[in-house]
Amino acid sequence: GLLAHLEVLEADAREASVKQEEEEKLEALKARAQKLRLQRDQLLAKVSLQQKGHPEDAGATAAPAPPSAQDVLEWKLKSLKSTLQILYLTGISGKLTPRGVCFCISTAYQGTYLDSYYLELLSEPQVRIRRHSIPIFIPLEQISKKYLQTDIRHFLSLLSNHLNAYVGRRYQADQLQEHFSEQIKGTLQRNSLCNLLVFNYDVSARSKTFPFRARLLYRDLCCSLPTEVTISCTPEAPASLVKVAGTHSDLFHRVALHEAFRSFSTAE
Amino acid sequence: MDETVAEYIRRTVLKIPRDEMKTMLQQWGFLSEAQLQTINFHQKKENVSQDVVQLCEENSADIKQAAVLDMIYNYMYPNKRVWSVYQMKKKGDETEFFDLTNFKKIFKRLLQSALKNVTINFREYEDNAIWIRIAWGTPHTKPNQYKTSYVVYHSQTPYVFISVSVLKSNLPLLCQALLVASSYHDICEMELRSHSLNSLKDIVFKRYSQNFQTYNPRPLQERKVTPQNDLRIIHENRDEKERIQRVTWEAFGDGPQPKLEFAQYKLETMFRSGPKMDVLDKKEPFRCLVKFSSPHLLESLKSLAPVGMADAPLSPLLTCIPQKARNYFKIREKRSLFPESFSSP
Repeated sequence: GLLAHLEVLEADAREASVKQEEEEKLEALKARAQKLRLQRDQLLAKVSLQQKGHPEDAGATAAPAPPSAQDVLEWKLKSLKSTLQILYLTGISGKLTPRGVCFCISTAYQGTYLDSYYLELLSEPQVRIRRHSIPIFIPLEQISKKYLQTDIRHFLSLLSNHLNAYVGRRYQADQLQEHFSEQIKGTLQRNSLCNLLVFNYDVSARSKTFPFRARLLYRDLCCSLPTEVTISCTPEAPASLVKVAGTHSDLFHRVALHEAFRSFSTAE
Repeated sequence: MDETVAEYIRRTVLKIPRDEMKTMLQQWGFLSEAQLQTINFHQKKENVSQDVVQLCEENSADIKQAAVLDMIYNYMYPNKRVWSVYQMKKKGDETEFFDLTNFKKIFKRLLQSALKNVTINFREYEDNAIWIRIAWGTPHTKPNQYKTSYVVYHSQTPYVFISVSVLKSNLPLLCQALLVASSYHDICEMELRSHSLNSLKDIVFKRYSQNFQTYNPRPLQERKVTPQNDLRIIHENRDEKERIQRVTWEAFGDGPQPKLEFAQYKLETMFRSGPKMDVLDKKEPFRCLVKFSSPHLLESLKSLAPVGMADAPLSPLLTCIPQKARNYFKIREKRSLFPESFSSP
């Protein structure tokens, strides 16, 4: 119909414009090549002139031309970009705004990049937060009350630790739910901060499975490993399993949750 | 099975749209898969609901199980209710460990000790949201299952979303129970109301897209501004159009806006007349109420300047709505014309 026809025309026009763009690019490159050839000829002429004038200096290299302003600018831009890239990789980067600074805190856990959070600060009349995208359950108000005015570096590093630990805990819980869902019986009970995890999982011994109940408490909000681990099994479980519970508990203390579970399945 | 329960189940099933009936009943899990197979979902809805009631009779459903179906329905269609946001305040700085079982136990105990006749149901969801359904009764009457209150709470956050039924008298008790169960010490209602629960969450949890300026080495998702290569089209006022786009982007950001239905401004300012015109004998504040309504208020405000209906930049009273997390304002005659608000995070 009519619309289809219009669409065809639109597609044709788009193709034509793309072709035109490419042609323009080609022209620009040709012009640049021309310019460079001209420059080369000029330099060759200079060299031959020098050779004629001072035959003893023919071997000596001409003094290096001072870098043009363009070159300096390009070099500055390149080094600035790499500095910014490095800063971004450290996890905290910032940009000056008309009235203050805007920080970006990027989080990661075990080599996986996770979320980025933003914090915009005003500097006049005193340092305060204008707006942010920090999750509401991170104790931002607490941290800013203590350190924002006095030690902004500490404030940022503390906030970054909180955020990184939170995403680390969340990542472990998500990985557990995703990859070990058959071993987890029922639902994994968690909360917004992921600092209390309660779940049941099966442990097999002597070709029978016994349910274990694990309760992981992360008292340190800046840490992605639990501070308290309680593993309980049913009273009918054999004594050997109590020892297993002990090793599991120790493992949960030291190693990321999903990695602990991975070691269980390889051990069995 | 109690007749009231049967009637309640019948009415709840009738509310469900036909396409969702089977899924919701499956989610409910009260009827077995075999029983569900016996229902013909293509017949009239009244007949389907009668069949469901019949099967529930066989399984002897009680009111608590029926309430779960109501919760599933309301979780899927939360926009049929009006939600208000309440903010809780903490006294100290201790870290909370939010134990869900503890929370439910304390909440239930508090309500049941105050009011013997009350039905309470809890349901947890993947995003750490805890849904609570409360049907209120009095010491002499059974709980009214048709006028229920719903509470949505995300653990370790100071915000509670409440959809209160007509009976506002139970609100203080509900607030008290929430405070004690979640270990906060004060609660007050925010000036933020909407039908869209998710949008309210987006606003207070700051999940909507705010445009932060950063040096992000990842390539930005550029808005597709197709260059008009057709020379027959001339863009008048191109600079002005770009300025308006830029100003609008600064105020509203890139992504979809949270969905609010109205913004209300209560003016209590003095009438400013010229020196010769003394319209009012007494210097009283001029009371006036301005209400903006829309199916999607923030999107329509965002498009006001680009379509030419308003000057850019828009008044900060309009653009501050998501950031200040309020859509009810009181404008008084103070030093600045800014709305009065308690500190929102």
